[in-house]
Amino acid sequence: MTALLTIDDLGVDLALGGWFGAARRSLNILAGVTLDLKPGETLGLVGESGSGKTTLARAVLGLQQITGGSVRFEGSDLARPADFRAIRRRTALMFQDATASLSPRMTVGEAVTEPFAIHRIAIRNHHEKAAELLAEVGLPPEMAARYPHELSGGQARRVGVARALALKPVLVIADEPTAGLDVSVQAEILNLMSDLKARHGLSYMIITHNLALVRHVADRIAVLYLGRLVETGPTRAIFAAPRHPYTQSLIAAEPKPDPRKRRTDLAIRGEIPSILRRPVGCEFNTRCPLAQDICRAEPPALNDLGQGRAVRCHFAKDITEGGRHELEH
Amino acid sequence: MSEPVLSVENLSLRYRVPGGTVAALRSVSIAVRQGEVLGIAGESGCGKSTLAAAMIDLTGANAEITSGTVRLRGQDILSLSRDSRRRLRGREIAMVFQDPMTAFSPVLTVGEQLVDFQFNINDVPRREKWIRAQHMLARVGLTDPDLAMSRFPHELSGGMRQRAAIAAALLMRPAVLIADEPTTALDVTMEAQIVHLLRELQADYRCAIVIVTHHLGVIAELCDRVAVMYAGEVVEEAPVDVLYHDPRHPYTRALLACDPALIEEATGRLPAIGGRLPDLAHPPPGCAFAERCRLSTERCRIVPPPRVALGPDRSALCHEVAP
Repeated sequence: MTALLTIDDLGVDLALGGWFGAARRSLNILAGVTLDLKPGETLGLVGESGSGKTTLARAVLGLQQITGGSVRFEGSDLARPADFRAIRRRTALMFQDATASLSPRMTVGEAVTEPFAIHRIAIRNHHEKAAELLAEVGLPPEMAARYPHELSGGQARRVGVARALALKPVLVIADEPTAGLDVSVQAEILNLMSDLKARHGLSYMIITHNLALVRHVADRIAVLYLGRLVETGPTRAIFAAPRHPYTQSLIAAEPKPDPRKRRTDLAIRGEIPSILRRPVGCEFNTRCPLAQDICRAEPPALNDLGQGRAVRCHFAKDITEGGRHELEH
Repeated sequence: MSEPVLSVENLSLRYRVPGGTVAALRSVSIAVRQGEVLGIAGESGCGKSTLAAAMIDLTGANAEITSGTVRLRGQDILSLSRDSRRRLRGREIAMVFQDPMTAFSPVLTVGEQLVDFQFNINDVPRREKWIRAQHMLARVGLTDPDLAMSRFPHELSGGMRQRAAIAAALLMRPAVLIADEPTTALDVTMEAQIVHLLRELQADYRCAIVIVTHHLGVIAELCDRVAVMYAGEVVEEAPVDVLYHDPRHPYTRALLACDPALIEEATGRLPAIGGRLPDLAHPPPGCAFAERCRLSTERCRIVPPPRVALGPDRSALCHEVAP
C-alpha cells in the first residue's frame, strides 16, 4: 500500500545565538528520522521529554522548518510554506492541553466551526454544523453555547477532537491526547478516537510518553531518544521483544499496577542528557547498560531487522530478548 | 500492631464557593503507622488532595472543617493554636508537592532555601546547616550536590527538582511525609527513579509516608496499604496486595478494570466507567457511586451505605459487599 505520509531522513536544526555579531551556532534537534504512515494506520511516537516527539510532529505539519531530508504527504513533496498550506485541510492537530488550545473568548460552537472560516469554506448553518460536529464526539448540542472554562477536562478533549475533525482530515496528529485525564475518561477518549478512525478511515500519529496507551491504540510505534529514531516496528512485536536497550528500559520502567510484580532494581539510571551536550557516538551511551567503546565513538546506523522492524544500535543483531543478559556477563 | 502516627477520624470538610458549599470530604477516617506507606488513590475531584492538605493543615482559606479530628501521635492538631500548628509543619509532618517548581522560591538558590528550611533548629551554625543540606541532596541521588546547592530551581531538571524537594521535606526528619502526586509531572524513567528513591528513604528513615496519586502503578509499586476515595469518601481500604487481587468495592473494581496497563492483550476498545461524579454541592442521600454502579439497587440510592469490615485493615463502604 502506498504510504499516506513518508518522512525520509528528516533533520531539524535550530539556529542559536547570533547576538551582536557573535557567530551563529546551530543546535541539532532531530536527525535521520525515517518513518512512514499508511492510510488507516495509527503510529505511536514514544519518548521522554526532550526526545523530539513534538518537534517531529510540528515539522510534519510545516510548523517547524525542516533543515534536512524530506516529508511527502499523499505522494507530493512538502517543502515550501505553500505546500504545507495545501495539506492543512487534510491534516489536523490535537493539542496537548485541550483547554488551553481553545480560545477563552470563543464559545464551543464558534471554536468547532472556526476551521471553515480559516479555510474560507462556506457552511450554510453554523448552529447545525456545530451540533453535527459535537454529536460526532458524543456531546449534546447545548454544549455549543459554553465557553472553554465551563468544560471538564474530558469535554474539552472532545471539543478538541470535534475541531480537529471539522474539515474531514485524513491524518490527525494527537499530542498527548489523554494527558491529565483520569483513567476512566482516558478510556472514553481513546474509544471515541478509535470509533472515529473506523468511521472516517483516519490515520493517527499519537505522540505520548504513556506506554500503556500506545500498546492499546497504536499499530506501530516509533521510539525517539534525543532526536534520534532508536527503534520502530509493529507495536505487538516491540512490546513482546524490545530490541533497543532504551526501549527495553522504558518498558521495564513503567510502574506495574500489580504489587506482585514490583521491581527491586532500577530499570534505567540517570537522565536524558541535555541537547546542548549531545553525547558523542550513540546518544544513549551515557545510560546504556551495554555500552562498549564503539558506542562512545561512533553513532550507530538504523539497522533494518526485517518484518518492519529497525533498531539504531551497534548491537542490534546481538540483542534479543534473552541476549541482553548474555551481553552483560 | 503499632499505634498510628497520624490519624484522621470522621473528618468532614467543605469548601465555600459562590452560591453554597461543596462537600469535599465526608466523614473520612484513615490512619498511617510508623514505617508504613499508605496510598490514597482516586480520580480528580475525589478529595484526595484535600485530604492530604488537611493532614498537614494546609487547606485553603475557603475550606471549613465541619467535624472530625486529625491526630498526630494521639494529639488533636486541629485544636492547637495557629503557632503550634505551624511549628508542626516541616518538623513533624512534611509535604512533597506535584510541581517541584512551585515548591521552591524562584529567586533563591536551592542551597539557600535548604538552609532556610532548617530555621527551626536553633543552636546550629549556618555552615553546619549547609553541610546537612548537601548531605541530604547527595542522599536523594543528586550526583553533584555542591553544584545543585548553588543553582536556582529553574536550572535543575524536573527530576532533580523533585529530588531536591524530597530532600527539603526530609531535612527535619519528619515523622510523616505526605507526597501529593509526586511523580505525575515526571517522565516514566524519572518516575521509576523517584519511586525507587522513596522506597529506599522509607527503609532508611522509617517515617510514615502518605502517597496521594491517581496512578495505580505507583501505588502498587510503593504502598503497603491503600485507601480508595470516591466523591469525598474512602470507599475501600485494604492492604495493597488484596486491593489489586481481590478488590471488593464496585468502584475499585471499575477503576482497576479500566487501567490500560492492567489489560494484557492489546484491545482497540477500553472499558470505561460510564456516567459522572455526583455534584458535591448537593451530595446524594444514598451511595455516591450508585448512579454508575452495575450492582446498585433502589436501596443504594436512598440509604447511605454501611462501612463493611472485610478483615484486618479491610473495609468497604457498600450495601452490596458481603463481610
